[in-house]
Amino acid sequence: MIVRIGSFRSRHDRAVVLIAFWLLLALLGPLCSSYDLGAIGSQPVFSGPSPAHLLGTDYLGRDTLARLLNGIRHTVLLCFASTVLSCSIGTFLGIAAVTARPWVEALTGRLADGFLSIPSLLFALLVIAVFGTSTTALIVTMGVIYTPGAYRTSRALAQRIARLDFVTVARARGESTTYIILQEILPNMAGPMITDVGLRFIYSVLLLSNLSFLGIGVQPPEVDLGSMVRENMLGMAYGSPAMIVPVIVIAVLTVGINLALDSSGGRR
Amino acid sequence: MRVASVLGRRPVLKGAGLFVAGMSTRSAMSAPISGGHLKVAGAVGSASETLDPAHQSMATDYIRGHLFYDGLVSLDDRLNPRPALAEALDSDDLLTWHIRLRRNVRFHDGAVLTADDVVFSLLRHQDPGIGSQQYALARTMQSVRAVSPLMVEIVLQTPNSDFPAILGISNFAILKAGTRDFRTANGTGPFRCQEFAPGIRTVAVRNSEFWGEKPHLDSVELIAIPDEMARHNALMSGDVDLIATVNPRLVQMLEKAGFGIVESPVGTYTDLSVRLDQRYGHSPDFVEGIKFLLNREQIRQSVFLGFSRLGNDQPIPPESPYFNNQLPQRVYDPDKAQFLLKRSGFLGETIPLVCSPAALASVDIAVVLQYAASRIGQKMAVQRVPADGYWTQYWMKSSLGFGNINPRPAPSLTFEVGFASASPWNESRWHNPYFDRLLQEAKSTRDDAKKRQLYWDMQELVASGSGVCIPNFTNSLDAYAPHICGLRPSQAGQLMGYDFARSVWLSEKQGRKA
Amino acid sequence: MNRHLVLLIGRRFLAAATSLVFVVVTVFAITNVLPGDATDALLGQGATPQAVAAMRHNLGLDRSVFVRFWFWLWGILHAEFGNSLLNGLSVADAIGPRLHNSLLLAGASAAVSVPVSLFLGVTSAIWKDTVYDRVVSILTLGMVSVPEFVIATIAVYVFAVRLHLLPALADVGSVHSLRQFLSAFFMPVASLALVTLAQMVRMTRAAMADTLSAPYIEMALLKGVGPIRLILVHAIPNAIGPIVNAVALSLSSLLGGVVVIEVVFTYPGISGLMVDAVSSRDVPTVQACALVFCVTYLFLTTFADIVTILSLPRGRKT
Repeated sequence: MIVRIGSFRSRHDRAVVLIAFWLLLALLGPLCSSYDLGAIGSQPVFSGPSPAHLLGTDYLGRDTLARLLNGIRHTVLLCFASTVLSCSIGTFLGIAAVTARPWVEALTGRLADGFLSIPSLLFALLVIAVFGTSTTALIVTMGVIYTPGAYRTSRALAQRIARLDFVTVARARGESTTYIILQEILPNMAGPMITDVGLRFIYSVLLLSNLSFLGIGVQPPEVDLGSMVRENMLGMAYGSPAMIVPVIVIAVLTVGINLALDSSGGRR
Repeated sequence: MRVASVLGRRPVLKGAGLFVAGMSTRSAMSAPISGGHLKVAGAVGSASETLDPAHQSMATDYIRGHLFYDGLVSLDDRLNPRPALAEALDSDDLLTWHIRLRRNVRFHDGAVLTADDVVFSLLRHQDPGIGSQQYALARTMQSVRAVSPLMVEIVLQTPNSDFPAILGISNFAILKAGTRDFRTANGTGPFRCQEFAPGIRTVAVRNSEFWGEKPHLDSVELIAIPDEMARHNALMSGDVDLIATVNPRLVQMLEKAGFGIVESPVGTYTDLSVRLDQRYGHSPDFVEGIKFLLNREQIRQSVFLGFSRLGNDQPIPPESPYFNNQLPQRVYDPDKAQFLLKRSGFLGETIPLVCSPAALASVDIAVVLQYAASRIGQKMAVQRVPADGYWTQYWMKSSLGFGNINPRPAPSLTFEVGFASASPWNESRWHNPYFDRLLQEAKSTRDDAKKRQLYWDMQELVASGSGVCIPNFTNSLDAYAPHICGLRPSQAGQLMGYDFARSVWLSEKQGRKA
Repeated sequence: MNRHLVLLIGRRFLAAATSLVFVVVTVFAITNVLPGDATDALLGQGATPQAVAAMRHNLGLDRSVFVRFWFWLWGILHAEFGNSLLNGLSVADAIGPRLHNSLLLAGASAAVSVPVSLFLGVTSAIWKDTVYDRVVSILTLGMVSVPEFVIATIAVYVFAVRLHLLPALADVGSVHSLRQFLSAFFMPVASLALVTLAQMVRMTRAAMADTLSAPYIEMALLKGVGPIRLILVHAIPNAIGPIVNAVALSLSSLLGGVVVIEVVFTYPGISGLMVDAVSSRDVPTVQACALVFCVTYLFLTTFADIVTILSLPRGRKT
């Protein structure tokens, strides 16, 4: 027990705590605002902070804080979900390509290259045309768009590790493939892979706003952080918090997660 | 009916406050100076930009059209038809029209304008293979023939007193007979085409042989900057001199930085249409409830920041001489709306509301409506769909969806396209034989008082019966650098009805420098 | 051993060719599945059923998918990209100058971002967990986390509108001297470099850090290998796989994924052309653009794959 409490401040747990913080904010944050998301008040558009509106108003005169909390909810939840999805599938396929039979590598490799070189605009429009707009379609689209990238990274890492001495030794010992993957390959690629996960998380925040703009994403009056920046872009001319604050929140969120992942990753 | 009476028969518009408000006082002071280069940025542009008048469909295309071509008729700032390449245009029965062409008009390649060119230019719109934007209107011309080198006779299928206005539509510009290659423009317009790179730039130089009043500018460069912030930044940094489609939110900043704004009351509107032939629209109570639920004043203030005029669910804008000002203005009335929606049986049900960035401000209007609805217990699910393919995949197909309608040069055209029972663009599928009859009557009368009465009745019919809700008419906003003179507001569209290049000049300093 | 290598590389090229075929077929299929066709954009309000039918016939859209695909493929095999459905002009003519512009922009951005990011990545791996490393991490991550339209727009606002130092538009048409080139390209290149920097810096840092903590590096250190030799000879070759991969992925997005930068600077490149063509369903143009992106991408990744294979420990033997 004492050991556990003592290790709470270890590097690994720092990432867990940070992620837990954002998840809590995502789930509980929107409850903290007294404003309705779509309510247009009597304030002019792009007004500055005031006691009534702590972060001022947006391009339609709505409360920025209420929208910010809603934006955090969508960005955090959707981007976490899709990043986990794309990185786990990508890593799995990447390792499979190295450890399984050659045709697996051939097939996954071609598919990944194919998907990566199809313009994602076309892919997104295809999803809308075929599946319409829904949260599931959104997460899957984001997952699919980033899976090939994660696959390429993990394959490049696994290829190198699979040929290192200790893996060869383990093979010679007659260890099963599962053992080799779990005990030898995965732990040894964790460092760079976690960096890749962090980057994909950043990209997914921006992708979400692009997909929202296309129409797959979050539907009004709900909002995600990237879309909030986009819709309030003209506020730049007036130094409006409606445009500046979400940019800062995105930066704090993504940089924080990446730094935390950084310190938790690496060799055990 | 002689040309003088046909062209310019409308009563002069009095006391149009918007016009005065939008006037640039600075420009009025100095006398026009010749010379200089003007760089202008429009808001829409793509690789599909064209020099073929039949295909013009976006604002920058219209600007190009006005630079290089002329129509038989041009529309003035108040949408009155004025003679252009046609010197006279008359008809005894509004069915057969005689057009006398201006003499000694030359195309840019030196050829003289003849009746054959006119026949070619008008008839090509009837060829389905050309794919003209005005195919439907062109087909109302039963025959177009050259009577003599300078006389053309057009026979319509039905009488139409607004035919001169139709000829003023810029798609009906006059080309040299046989023109097929549109890599460059060979028109009669005030500028020649020096460079045309679709989606990149168009460069126009003054046509010294121009038949009309010579333009002041030496040359004009037209580009498109679709990104709002980038367009405004380009104006403020001095990269361009004039921009179209200013966002109302940036007017304050531009004015503070010393730039001029031209505000034009154009008849453009973003409407919500309820399909009358589908579930919700079957109930007249539902449609009326929605009309009372639209907070027009809030839309004006929050969405358009005051740069719009209130709409009254009929398509004739307030500045039109035919506007029915006796029709009571519909106002936001949540209690009445709640009562009506309850009676319709849909209160409590979640109504889908389809909007898209493709239809100007429709997402914002949808959000305003959704919030108002939530206050009276009417749930609405806003569905923002891609701009890509909106006009073919969603527009007029959803039970409740938004459209964005551009003004037409005459009320009869507006009614004909958007509200006549037979029109494929009847957004709400409103069928009213009485309305159709009034429309025919209005088109075939030359008595202005009678026409006015008919238009008034039609506006009332549309406002009460159709499923189209028109909360606001948008104002077009252009912004210009301080050295640009001579810009005026126009009902014909942005940038003086796309035709600024004929009248704008640069102030003394800039004109000499360039 | 040499034959083996040639065989291996040959196999990569064959694989790339397979992917190319896959992409060409998929893109064609997608453009066919997407609702609407070029007649919508062409006819607009003139779109009566009769006019649509005539137009479709004129454009050959009434022929079956397979016939159209065959004609297109036949054209490609003869280096013919066909004509735009919208204005009838040659697709090759439309793409040519824009591709030139895009390559110019991508090349300039790569020339800036690749060396800078390799340097930053390697140095921050060497000085891992120092203040320097932290600052590099926070800055590069911060830059990529801010949406690129924000970075680019703020840059224009500051340098063009406020300071009047640089033009707001990247007017490639009027570039005649080095000075004009620098002033037109500075902001687009800087914005693009900032956006692409992060992935390369981060992956280089991670791969290098990983390699530097490996037992054989310690061994080399114990053997008395100098630090520069250690990095260049022992560490970099072992970390090169993931690094080259990251560079290839970043660079491949410089051609087709820069719509935002093209939009903000009104830069006539190929990304914007593709977006226009998709929205107007101008299939020949979409196909040609997709082909260009795909070839670039495959070229870069195949290169990365080959470097990875060559760098593998004893990889050449397998």
